[in-house]
Amino acid sequence: SSYEHKLNFKKSKEVCLSYIQDAMLQKQWERAAEFLTSYIESLEKDYSREYMGPSEIIWRTGTEILCHHSHSSMKEFNSFMEQMKILGVKRYLKVCLEHAFHLLCNGLIDEAYQNLSLAESWRFGEQTVIQDKEMKLIQAYRGLLDYYKWSKQKNILLEHGEDGFEDLSVEQEMHSCFRNAAVNLKEIIKIPGIWDQFVKCYVDLLEFYGDHEEARKVLHDYAYNSKFPANPNAHVYLYQFLKRQGESKKSLISALKNLHDAVPSHELMIDFNLMLQKSKKRKKRRLGLEVIFAALDYAGWKENVKAWSCLAKQLKQIVMSEKHLDWLKHEWSSRKDWWPAFHFSRYLGKRNWQENQSLSYEKALVAGILLGKDDKYFKYVSHQGCKARMKRFRVLKKFVHKHNPVYMRISG
Amino acid sequence: MEFPAALFPSHFGAGPPRQEGGPAPAAGWGELGQVLESGPGRHQAEPAFVPRRGGTGENWDPADAAAVPCLPPNASCWVPSVTPQDILYRGVLHRKLRESTFGATLDFAKQLGYFFVDHPEDAFGSLGQLLHKNFHLGNSNLRRPARESTIRMTALMEEIERLEARRGCPQKHLISRLRWFSHLCRDWLFEVPLGLLADCVHEELLLQWASLLFDDSPTGGALAWLPPEDTRAHVGRLVYPRGQAMNHLYFQDMVLKEGPRAQGSPAQFELNGRIRQIAAARVDGEDFVGVRSDYHCGVWRVPGRTGAVPTPLQVIRTSVPASCLTVSPHLPGELSVCTQSGAVYLWSVETGLQQVRHDPQTMFFRDHSPWRWSDFTAHPRVLSCADRTGLQCLDTRVPERCQFDLFKVGEEASCQQGERVVLPMYLGKAHPSQHLVTTQFSVYVLDERLPLVPVLKWVHMMKDPPLFAHLIPGGSGRSHKVLLGTACTQELLLLQYRGERWGLGDAYSACRLAGPPQKLHSIAGCLQHLPAQLPHRHHLLQHRLSTPAAGLAATLQEDGSQESLLVFQLSEAGDVFCQRLTHKAAQPPAPATVDEATTAPGSSPLFDSPPSPAVPSPAAALLYRRWLRALFKGRREPPRHAWPPTLGQKLLFNRKELEATPSALQQQARQRLRQAMLEGGRIQRWDPTDLQTPALPQPQKLEGGPDPLSTRLTAAWSGDWGEEERTSVKLAQRQRALREQRQRQKRARGRRSLSASFTSSLTYQSELSELSDAGPLQPTPGLSRERTPPPMLTASPSAPPEDELLSSQSLRSRGIPKERRRTLRVYLGVWDKPLADAPEPPFSQTSQTCIPSSPSQLSSASQPRRKRPRMGF
Repeated sequence: SSYEHKLNFKKSKEVCLSYIQDAMLQKQWERAAEFLTSYIESLEKDYSREYMGPSEIIWRTGTEILCHHSHSSMKEFNSFMEQMKILGVKRYLKVCLEHAFHLLCNGLIDEAYQNLSLAESWRFGEQTVIQDKEMKLIQAYRGLLDYYKWSKQKNILLEHGEDGFEDLSVEQEMHSCFRNAAVNLKEIIKIPGIWDQFVKCYVDLLEFYGDHEEARKVLHDYAYNSKFPANPNAHVYLYQFLKRQGESKKSLISALKNLHDAVPSHELMIDFNLMLQKSKKRKKRRLGLEVIFAALDYAGWKENVKAWSCLAKQLKQIVMSEKHLDWLKHEWSSRKDWWPAFHFSRYLGKRNWQENQSLSYEKALVAGILLGKDDKYFKYVSHQGCKARMKRFRVLKKFVHKHNPVYMRISG
Repeated sequence: MEFPAALFPSHFGAGPPRQEGGPAPAAGWGELGQVLESGPGRHQAEPAFVPRRGGTGENWDPADAAAVPCLPPNASCWVPSVTPQDILYRGVLHRKLRESTFGATLDFAKQLGYFFVDHPEDAFGSLGQLLHKNFHLGNSNLRRPARESTIRMTALMEEIERLEARRGCPQKHLISRLRWFSHLCRDWLFEVPLGLLADCVHEELLLQWASLLFDDSPTGGALAWLPPEDTRAHVGRLVYPRGQAMNHLYFQDMVLKEGPRAQGSPAQFELNGRIRQIAAARVDGEDFVGVRSDYHCGVWRVPGRTGAVPTPLQVIRTSVPASCLTVSPHLPGELSVCTQSGAVYLWSVETGLQQVRHDPQTMFFRDHSPWRWSDFTAHPRVLSCADRTGLQCLDTRVPERCQFDLFKVGEEASCQQGERVVLPMYLGKAHPSQHLVTTQFSVYVLDERLPLVPVLKWVHMMKDPPLFAHLIPGGSGRSHKVLLGTACTQELLLLQYRGERWGLGDAYSACRLAGPPQKLHSIAGCLQHLPAQLPHRHHLLQHRLSTPAAGLAATLQEDGSQESLLVFQLSEAGDVFCQRLTHKAAQPPAPATVDEATTAPGSSPLFDSPPSPAVPSPAAALLYRRWLRALFKGRREPPRHAWPPTLGQKLLFNRKELEATPSALQQQARQRLRQAMLEGGRIQRWDPTDLQTPALPQPQKLEGGPDPLSTRLTAAWSGDWGEEERTSVKLAQRQRALREQRQRQKRARGRRSLSASFTSSLTYQSELSELSDAGPLQPTPGLSRERTPPPMLTASPSAPPEDELLSSQSLRSRGIPKERRRTLRVYLGVWDKPLADAPEPPFSQTSQTCIPSSPSQLSSASQPRRKRPRMGF
């Protein structure tokens, strides 16, 4: 009966797909390709209303196979993609976008640009939400490629400018690239999302043409718009922009403070700490201590010599001046139950000494101040240092022994 | 650690997931996702782009055709897992219900019935003992004095029989006699009040059904690998559960060179619960191993040097089953525990338990699952807490105030509708702030510094939700490898991802997938490479090898320039299998073997040999043989207390009957049987209702009056019960036998073990196993098989008839009441004992038998027949 026939057809389709899947998962691309040629028959009676129909499956598996098949070429890949584009209207934009990605990754920038332009002009009835998003991405990537064109021409122009020779047509083309890029990039960064490379390019364009206010606004929005995800890079870009603009310390510090609140373990925290340490205001110096303590809480910073030396330096200042020991006490109180095991175990002392002596020096200084002269990390490292007749370790030992009462005061 | 200078572009939305759909078969293929500029390209002026997915990865090829066992089999474990057939209602009603909107229908009455049959002592013990003198179950008429105080139950039993025969018939009416009896005794006959018992059975059934649909108790996996402190040493330690109830914890030293093998004897610990999860982490050169069972969690410390003895540190008991145990990679002796009540604890060996959170509700939207998980993060005082709806991070010092959402099933991560978190894992060894989250559809990599937006997402296309994951961190310039494993389907998938410094630039690159995913061998996959087995053994083996996976571990091994990845997989039966993948440093030139131009049109590369070897190496074959031998050896000698009761068979058949020379007919039957065994098929179905069996050996009229046993066996063999009735042994003989049985039963009452009913099938199987232990049948050249049957077959013809004798039809046809049949089966259990065995005093062992919490543990030995599920009685 026809029902049975349909059922059988469906079953063999599923079996065939599972063969394809199996071969692909075992990297048997030739085998998978053979099966795929049989699977294409499933398009013939595609009444499926499933979430993923055979045409999408063919597009996905076919693309993957062509990427890995030993006999495939870019030409074949392109013609396959063209066929896939006409196979499903709903997927047209997606396939176009993916095709452009493949071209970009293979260094075919111009072909990708053509593809994106073609896709951009595509119209088909009402667009769904997903298609709308895809269209925005297509435009953004075209904008990005326009930006690269622009920057290429800019470089040509700058080189030629040095020669004292100006080409009007190049300049005109460059400006048209700028306009194309700016329009599209500006559009995408209004939509909530992560647009790091688009934002960077757009800001570069704006800065080149001297529109610093717009650039600042764009970066500010990108960092502080609550509809956007909490992206640390947004704060970093803003900070870098402010730094480029030679902004005041105060605005730099406030930018980094926001980054600190969002990501206390960001690598810029060292710069932040250095900046704060230099400050004359007590409040800022206190913040600096907080920042470096917070950064060293994270496992990724455990062996960061720079961070440890920042902390050691600040601790040394505090201990010598014997002022602001209360800051130290405050910071230490929430850490004293786990920092010793986390940072200052005997095992770590041994390992740090073997692997990185300057790290063990900084850490030993911190351990000596925070945990006293009887701490096992300090004792081990200073003993090893003295044994190796290194002068700075002898000085370190003397310093810690002299200021041992501080340990009593902060731990009490 | 640096944050990537630029992230891949993505849209960001908030709210519940909008994308519809379900498991899509090929959704993980073909997409590059997004591209990102990776610095100047080859021509300087042109930018170069890298894709988020589809970049090149490392080449890891399987070294062998299938996974090989790396430890001897867990011989004592033959508990079959529950299958849907065991607890679902099947019958006319079922079909009706299936068409309607109802989901699964649990066969509650069947389970209750099983309980009454399997545990009569528990169900009716005291009243049964009080009343048994007053109930008469035989066929004979009652004599005068007895009639005063005894009721004949035979008619009632017959009614029940008839009822049984019409099981599933829509025109079933209750017989008034039965109704009368059940009304009369419903209130007082049962040891446990019927309503209460029914509630318990029903509750247990629902639990079993839920765990059949999805069992999350093994989440995280019960296998751990403790690498040596010196990475060049080829010795490590494997931690795994074993034993009949998987409640023994083993620490086994393993040598990796030339295939992993055990070195020395393992350190063992017996725990009082099934081990669900084993988690391990190394802090300060010492390994801390956390072990989770349902109501207990324990922690062991294992010093780094090889051969050091593991020391148990602490155990905690929970009143609600624990669902998670993770070990801190930062601080020694710190763990995190979650229970199904929604509580999360930070457990320190020194300071004890600290409750960090207690919330029976799920975090982001309502979900019924009580499953909770927690893990450590880049900050030693911050824990990530998960339920099915997402992940949150909270500071254990101020848990109420300091928290943020790390992952949400929603539009933020472009999830699908119905997607749920299955397993979160901290990827600290690869990157201190990254986490892995698997759902039933996808796998995500998250960065704590960029909450809610996954830095990597991939649709994994696995058939079952991945419950196990293992990370193998890659060094500088290498990709990180993640292994995902599922439980029921035993799938193993190897993924690679990167996130490292770009070439010369100082920028840190965004996370991206490297290379296509790769499927690894599953335990069940080695079945086809094992030596051929007898059908029933093959079936047993198939069942054994396809038990759900229970854990996953892996390690990198460097042998000179050759790098290999060893992947261990644990099954629920306690077997550990291992496979080796070798690293190919550079892409080999295009393979010249498959040349499409030269292949003939008829031959396609479809069925050519895959890149992994098609047959196991001799070393692997040897391992398989050893493993099989050990597996079946373990079964041949059950522990002393589980021996079946041995009885003298003289009471039923005299020695002459048993030893009579086989007639021509019997020989013919033997030959048929042998043929069937060789072909791995069967001669006929023993179900008399099945009338379609084409190859029925025709019963032949017997000449010369063969001995009665042969006649009966032959008749039974052909399935002709009427014939048997006519030519069977004399009635008086039968009655005598039955009377004696009854006396025995009376004597044994109260002492009879629950497992007795299974012993017959058990022994039958074990005998066959013994017979086939010689390995697959090899045709001997030069010798006609007909004339000289291999020794393994000499006893086989008698075995199936024995089964037939035991079958309820044959017993019923002889008018043996139902409750007597079991006794008869027990008697007949002696059939498979070698004749030389001295018969032991009847029932001498029975009182000590039993023991496992459920009878099916023993019954499981006879696999060919589907057994009842293990229930919580």
